[in-house]
Amino acid sequence: MDLFRRLTRRPTLELDDIQAAVLRSRPEPYYGTHAILEITDAALGRELLRRLSPRITSAARWDEPVPAWTMLAISYPGLVALGVPESSLASFPANFRAGMAARAERLRDTGPNAPEHWEFPFGTGRAHLAISVYADSEQAWQAAVEGYARELDQVPGVRLLSHQDFGATGFNVFGYRDGFAQPAVEGSGAETMPGDGRPIRPGEFVLGYPSETGQPLPMPSPDVLGRNGTFVVFRKYHSHVAAFNRFLHDHAGTPQERDLLGAKLVGRWRSGAPLALSPDRDDPAIGDDPTRLNDFTYSGDPRGLRTPLGAHTRRMNPRDAKLAILTDTRIRRIIRRGTSYGDPVAEDVTRDDGKSRGLDFIAISARAVDTVEFLQSEWVNSGNFVGLDKEKDPLISRQDDGARFTVPGTPPRRVQGIQSFNTLLGGEYFFMPSLSAIAWLSREPST
Amino acid sequence: MSQQSLEQRFQGLPATVRQKVDAVIDDAKVALKVRVGELLADKDEVAEHAVTTAGRVGAKSGEVSELTAIMPLKPGGAERLRKFFKLVDGNLAGAGDVGTLHNMRFVFLDGDTKLLFATAYDGEWDPYIDDFATKIPEMMDHLFGNVEGWPGIHSPEVKDFIVQYQLPAEAWFVAHPNLTVAGATRLKRLDRTVQSFLTELN
Repeated sequence: MDLFRRLTRRPTLELDDIQAAVLRSRPEPYYGTHAILEITDAALGRELLRRLSPRITSAARWDEPVPAWTMLAISYPGLVALGVPESSLASFPANFRAGMAARAERLRDTGPNAPEHWEFPFGTGRAHLAISVYADSEQAWQAAVEGYARELDQVPGVRLLSHQDFGATGFNVFGYRDGFAQPAVEGSGAETMPGDGRPIRPGEFVLGYPSETGQPLPMPSPDVLGRNGTFVVFRKYHSHVAAFNRFLHDHAGTPQERDLLGAKLVGRWRSGAPLALSPDRDDPAIGDDPTRLNDFTYSGDPRGLRTPLGAHTRRMNPRDAKLAILTDTRIRRIIRRGTSYGDPVAEDVTRDDGKSRGLDFIAISARAVDTVEFLQSEWVNSGNFVGLDKEKDPLISRQDDGARFTVPGTPPRRVQGIQSFNTLLGGEYFFMPSLSAIAWLSREPST
Repeated sequence: MSQQSLEQRFQGLPATVRQKVDAVIDDAKVALKVRVGELLADKDEVAEHAVTTAGRVGAKSGEVSELTAIMPLKPGGAERLRKFFKLVDGNLAGAGDVGTLHNMRFVFLDGDTKLLFATAYDGEWDPYIDDFATKIPEMMDHLFGNVEGWPGIHSPEVKDFIVQYQLPAEAWFVAHPNLTVAGATRLKRLDRTVQSFLTELN
């Protein structure tokens, strides 16, 4: 099935300089790897960038299928390790320079999600480069991985710290279709899909173009480094699917009731069909239809009788819903390139098998760091913005003991004892340079 | 109450509390020492009103934070602002749309050369600055454009600009620290519903 947009207009963005990840959709099914590298020698780090640069895919013709594509992103310690001049380093935003671990308080990454519990190499300051391969077949995936691994072998002074494979059919480990609701980016040449509304200004997603303020957002200097680049936030979660299934079993008696309660938490049914269009039962005909599954709003459902105010997808993309706090939802959109790893768990399994599984949350935007910090503190770990006080996101928040979820209705239903269904294993803030910025970074600094 | 019974009440407080009080305000009248001591001894009350920090600068009690800033005005800035405030009779009703503002005030100081801006608001102050920049940029620039050096609401420096003039409160009290503006709106709606139910019941 083709859930994704086509390129139908003349693009105005410099697509051949922008990395593919910004506009290219995750294939279905998909295979891939996220690798994290440490640079121990600046000159050799630059040498690696030189060798890798022909392998980094651009966004040109982002709608045409390719067997595999590779993206590259650099953390702040990575820019330092590459010997980037101080004047450029200082031009990056303060929260990006501090790094995700140092921003734990703002991100509400506390308790089991706190950096001291993270997997290596997250939060150590050694995660310098991230290379991700996305592929539509196992062979193409392995070929792309072997491609960059060969370059790595040639360059001492660069260490592979972690190598995480991922892959799924387009449904996540909880059994829900995911990753298909994406903002329409002005200037990308993308067709408009029903439900998109006005496309978002390009500067929200790529540096150097007008943003929703009318001006380009501030960008790193010199221009060759900043322009056509963007920021990426990576957060790896372990998913407690059996606990999620058990929660549904504990609070709903029949398979139909469990399905409905699950949909009330998510905001969509397993097929992807939104409650807004199909309030009573799943409708895979909607889930399979890209012209229908995002074609809805929330303004006709102010109390959340169809889609609860606190449902995950309504929180993360409130569309036209009236919020309790003055908010510009257009500057909070992110391009999502999240990936699932590990086996899915069937809905009737309520005992944890202890296996590693979950999702890598990957958000791309010119303000990705600010946006994810905003989402974590305002929309995920609080309910105040929709008048739900301390109620939190039912899927990705860190729940306190005795937490609850409200399903609006007549009468409303209060579901007690909701737990954290995803635990953070770590993450990093990255800068995703343009192809010309990669070339600039691979040259020896002149100062 | 007699001096003696006050003394008795003070002695009845936990030793740690008495020591703390004596260490700091030994010279105060015993009536004050009893009041402060009893306050400190009430752990639930103290915990509910605990003061934390609101992001970079400022105090926070529960969900409610304070921001106090004294900023230098451009020549004629006070006059322009005063005209604007007169136009609306000092009534900033539209500010309710922000949804996090409990209150705010504008006061001119030192012969109209400085502006005192003070507010109580929910959460931390900077997550929503970007929203002000795209939703109400004209209002922000009109009010604060009279401040010397205002970089403009779209400037990446605007957060640092505000922080440099911010004076953190040394003490901060909020009657209902966990009641946000949105929470109060919900309680008002609930109360209306209950009141009309009671009216219809009879």
